[in-house]
Amino acid sequence: MVSNAHILLLFLLPLCSAALIALLLRKSGRIAAGVSIASAAACLIVALRMLAHWDMDPVHRIVTWYSMGDLQVSLGFLLNPTAAVLLFVVTFVGFFIHLFAVEYSEHDDARGRFFGGMSIFMFSMTGIVLSSNLIMMFVFWELVGFSSYLLIGHYRERESAANAANKAFIVNRIGDFGFLIGIIAIWAKFGTTDLLALETIVHADPSKLQTMIGLLLFCGVLGKSAQMPLHVWLPDAMEGPTPVSALIHAATMVAAGVFLMCRVFFLFSADALELIMWVGVVTAIYSGICAITQKDIKKILAYSTLSQLGYMVSAFAIGTAAAHAGHEYGVGASLFHLTTHAFFKALLFLAAGSIIHATHHEQNIFRMGGLISRMPWTSVCFSLGLLALVGCPGFSGFWSKEGILSLAWEHERPVFYALLGGVGITALYMARLWVTVFLGNPKTEAVGHAKENSWVMVLPLVVLAIYSVFAGWFTPLFPNATLPILVDSIPHAPESMKVWLPILSFGTMVLGLVLGGLIYKSGGEKDNLESGIPFLYRFIQTKLWFDEIYLFYVQRIQQPIARLLSNLDLLVISGIGMRGVAGGIPGGLGQVLRLLTTGNVHHYVYWFAVGVIACVAVVAGLS
Amino acid sequence: MMLSHYLIASGILFSIGFLGVLLRKNTLIVLMSLELMLNAVNLLFVAFSRYNLSLDGSIFVFFSITVAAAEVAVGLAIVVALFRLKQTVFVDAFTEMKN
Repeated sequence: MVSNAHILLLFLLPLCSAALIALLLRKSGRIAAGVSIASAAACLIVALRMLAHWDMDPVHRIVTWYSMGDLQVSLGFLLNPTAAVLLFVVTFVGFFIHLFAVEYSEHDDARGRFFGGMSIFMFSMTGIVLSSNLIMMFVFWELVGFSSYLLIGHYRERESAANAANKAFIVNRIGDFGFLIGIIAIWAKFGTTDLLALETIVHADPSKLQTMIGLLLFCGVLGKSAQMPLHVWLPDAMEGPTPVSALIHAATMVAAGVFLMCRVFFLFSADALELIMWVGVVTAIYSGICAITQKDIKKILAYSTLSQLGYMVSAFAIGTAAAHAGHEYGVGASLFHLTTHAFFKALLFLAAGSIIHATHHEQNIFRMGGLISRMPWTSVCFSLGLLALVGCPGFSGFWSKEGILSLAWEHERPVFYALLGGVGITALYMARLWVTVFLGNPKTEAVGHAKENSWVMVLPLVVLAIYSVFAGWFTPLFPNATLPILVDSIPHAPESMKVWLPILSFGTMVLGLVLGGLIYKSGGEKDNLESGIPFLYRFIQTKLWFDEIYLFYVQRIQQPIARLLSNLDLLVISGIGMRGVAGGIPGGLGQVLRLLTTGNVHHYVYWFAVGVIACVAVVAGLS
Repeated sequence: MMLSHYLIASGILFSIGFLGVLLRKNTLIVLMSLELMLNAVNLLFVAFSRYNLSLDGSIFVFFSITVAAAEVAVGLAIVVALFRLKQTVFVDAFTEMKN
């Protein structure tokens, strides 16, 4: 049995930690770090115990929060297999990233604020995972957005960080607006926002499904999971500290969008799924190509995250469409890739953080080099994460990508070829990164003197590396409660492709790796693609002008309209309305009433007495 | 004694208090007059309580006395603070609420 205490603890521990830090411990970073880590560890333990005690039946407990007319809003939690997977991923990865952050933030003056933000994030993310209805989920959805804003802008003395935080927040607002309208539409259509109730209604009468509702919900996903065309905020979000990038902008928060879809998969109609699938595919390919010309190690990983999120989104769409059509396996492939991605991408980010920490904040890969002999542990862990990401056979990423590719092969052949190409692109940009960072000679003195970090930083890397390698098949690594999704609902290649599909994906991967190795050889100081095919390089670097187009829209179209409205306000309402025709009335009234304000207490007593008499008169007259 | 006696006494007390608040210039006296008004009402409570043979009114008086005690503490503190500010407790000196 899952007791209420488990759930309350999961919510309250990080919340109390955040409150404690915000109110009392801002100045004392060491204690704040301790409190935050203790709460993360306790959350992990509670989550594991809860999952161990769970009998696999959905647990659904709610209390009414408030009701307004027909609208009943409740607070509650719903534990089902989907939530169980995410709960494990969030608390597990979260704890190890907290641990890593202790040393990473050692010289940070605002350490307390940092760990407070991490705790508030853990609270909000747990909330999203366990929410039982869409309104409550939306509240936590906004809270993760807030903590993301807080942490992206952590280095607030840097203007770029402040801008990035604003950008992330504003872009997410656009997506969330659609999400909110979607929730209202759902309430208008079904009369409830409770997840279980919605599923029952839709099951009973699938004709009630509307494409519009699915697409509106997907708007929220576009923002949070940074799909095209709202992907622009995620690369900029790398301004935040690296543990934040690992936790929020790689492993958990950006996956919340995928989780949301998996949680309400029954609300998506076939047409909506078709569109969602193509958005995912386009994002996957586009961001993979963008990653090829990035020079900042974190931005490369950020584009890679975008690309992998594209895989999850399209896998969700294909799987759900297939499930609607009566086939086996629904959201399994998507969630499995989400899980393995959380491990290996968190690992890659933390390893990158370890490098950045050791080289005194060097992030340009072309100024690194030769790190394999200087930081052996980090290098090995990074390489394992990299092999998992590109889908090397045996590593976790291989299994999850194989699931997605099998799904695509069976149901959407064109998508299969696109995603297969994506595998090659992933291998290409990761080979470029690896060669440049780890081989060759160090380009700066700081990199030359880099040393392996202490065990507090290496331990999380090792743990995540173990998961990145074995998560594909070694089930004892996971709580039993997550296995129905992570093992039983993973699609496998059909009989005819059993041999060929892995060979195809392996071949594409090797092709990408070899190509990357050939172009970037030993890791020089310059980008060989830049000097080799400058036209192509510069074209990729434009990233299809998304930022420029948005900027143009805001500056040239939105701003003039705003100015026009502002002038209208000044001229008509303020000018003619207040000072012109009607100007005499408020002005004259003000002059008269001003006389009443004498400042003398006695005069106010008289007014008070008059008021009392008036009140009594009114009451007497009425009764 | 009849109920009306109490009512008249209470009315006289209340009027004295009210006039004191209206006419006196010394903040301390104004405060005392306020207390007088309050206690006039307390007297009414007790009188009606006895007349109706119900304890409700008497109980309420305890609350109002408690609140009055707290209120006086605050009021006197304000008067002290005002005196420190202006070296006087006469209400004419305090016209900060204009402006």
